[in-house]
Amino acid sequence: MSAQTTTFCVRTFWVPKRGSSRQEYEDATWVGPDGNGNGEIQHQSLTAAVADGASESLLAGRWARRLVEVFGKAGSATRTRTGFIAAYQEAVSSWDQEVLEYTMEREERGASIQWYEEPGLAKGAYATILAVKFSDGREGRPPNWKAVGLGDSCLFQVRDESLYASFPMDDAASFSYQPPLLASRGTDVETLRRHIRTKANDWERGDSFYLVTDALAAWFLKINEIEGRPWEPLRDMDTHDAKLDFAGWVDEQRDLGQMHNDDTTLIRIDMY
Amino acid sequence: MYSAEISRANPTSFVFLLDQSASMQDSIGGGEGQRKCDVVADALNRLLSELTIKCAKEEGVRDYFYVSVIGYGGSNVGPALAGSLGGRYLVPLSEIAASPARLETRAKKIPDGAGGLVEQEIKFPVWVDPVASGGTPMSGALTRAQSVISGWLTEHPGCFPPVVLNLTDGESNDGDPTGPAEALRQLASADGPTLVFNLHVSSDNSQPISFPDSDAGLPNQYARLLFNMSSTLPDHMRAYAQQQQIAVSGETRGFVFNADMTSIVQFLDIGTRASDLR
Repeated sequence: MSAQTTTFCVRTFWVPKRGSSRQEYEDATWVGPDGNGNGEIQHQSLTAAVADGASESLLAGRWARRLVEVFGKAGSATRTRTGFIAAYQEAVSSWDQEVLEYTMEREERGASIQWYEEPGLAKGAYATILAVKFSDGREGRPPNWKAVGLGDSCLFQVRDESLYASFPMDDAASFSYQPPLLASRGTDVETLRRHIRTKANDWERGDSFYLVTDALAAWFLKINEIEGRPWEPLRDMDTHDAKLDFAGWVDEQRDLGQMHNDDTTLIRIDMY
Repeated sequence: MYSAEISRANPTSFVFLLDQSASMQDSIGGGEGQRKCDVVADALNRLLSELTIKCAKEEGVRDYFYVSVIGYGGSNVGPALAGSLGGRYLVPLSEIAASPARLETRAKKIPDGAGGLVEQEIKFPVWVDPVASGGTPMSGALTRAQSVISGWLTEHPGCFPPVVLNLTDGESNDGDPTGPAEALRQLASADGPTLVFNLHVSSDNSQPISFPDSDAGLPNQYARLLFNMSSTLPDHMRAYAQQQQIAVSGETRGFVFNADMTSIVQFLDIGTRASDLR
């Protein structure tokens, strides 16, 4: 396998929660090599990240975008807890500048910050993060992936029509309204270490990976637990076999009461 | 029941009934402390401010909630928001945010990072002013809330059920409020009946009785009457109360008797807790 070049076939899908505009979407994605990876990518390795900004915080979408960018670009972020913490601290260090730019933008359009926004800006934004790096089988090592995560954004690996790996959640019942979150104003290192999850595993050609935020993650595990095959509609998405586009399919699941109404995001990566 | 998501397309409403009778001038907990009307108005202003901050997003304050404040005292039962919102029964939260009667500057003690406290000036928006005059027309206030909520439910039949929070220090003197409270609790959306919670503010120094699940330990008939007027807490509020170290059961009611300053804030916090803002 090491003699062949790996092809990562990437597709990203997202839809805001019902009742929100596309501008109000607060998840974020990043796929290497430049953050906008899409389609067939031939490379030795590939990094991908997904984040979910917490709705009850201000600038949550910006914070989620900042996190995926830093975790996507930082070479060591997906290797160890220490690498994770360094990437997080880099994101935190630029937050004041981000808020300053936002404040100036608002002033420029004659909509200065109001009293009810000041506490939220001072408190900061919150988001989950999941980042994974796929490496091919060069230098005698088998193809492998390493992932880090904090919160309930998930990665699912499907092989031979079954769920081969699930990270960091593996039980639909364990999703709650209060997952651990990364704060843009900083979190003490001990708390951070307690909540960071890491996982490494192998991969083979033919495997499919699904990186998703919590509404789709909870749906995926619930369907899998009742012996369904949740990857089927996701695998078909954007192909001739798809009955609906992603937004239409998510809408249908919401109507059926199967999926929570939330910003919903999927990065699908097929290995060839 | 009590599981509907709260969104801009499917908002819910909070109706605060504010006792403005003469006895609200007395000090809370007896002695020479703050007047009950001041403490209750402050707690309500703080709650409205926190709700607004919680719903503030980049594009503005999201109208997850519509708010009504109905004052009752003497021969008056009517809307009690001050300033430009005066006279209105139900106001979307974005308008609450945009139109406090005034922004006061208050001192708040915050940690100084070296184990001490330092005073910081904060903006304190005021929508409700303290008023204390005349008797306690509680039945009239509950009946007025009925008409506000009936109209609301006609327009929002699938909403998370409205919550009525009655803040009082005295006995109703316009008749037994049990019937009007029962009629309120029978007004329902597709997601369940209207929630009615009662808070009794104390003039003496008695220990508060917070969120009881039976009337067995209540000190008098009046406390039992308010208990029986109160709804049981839905699951998410009960779970939140438990997080606040309050002992709860499936029968726990939204009721506090002999409330002190801390339990007033806690009552408003638990009674307006929303689990599923979208």
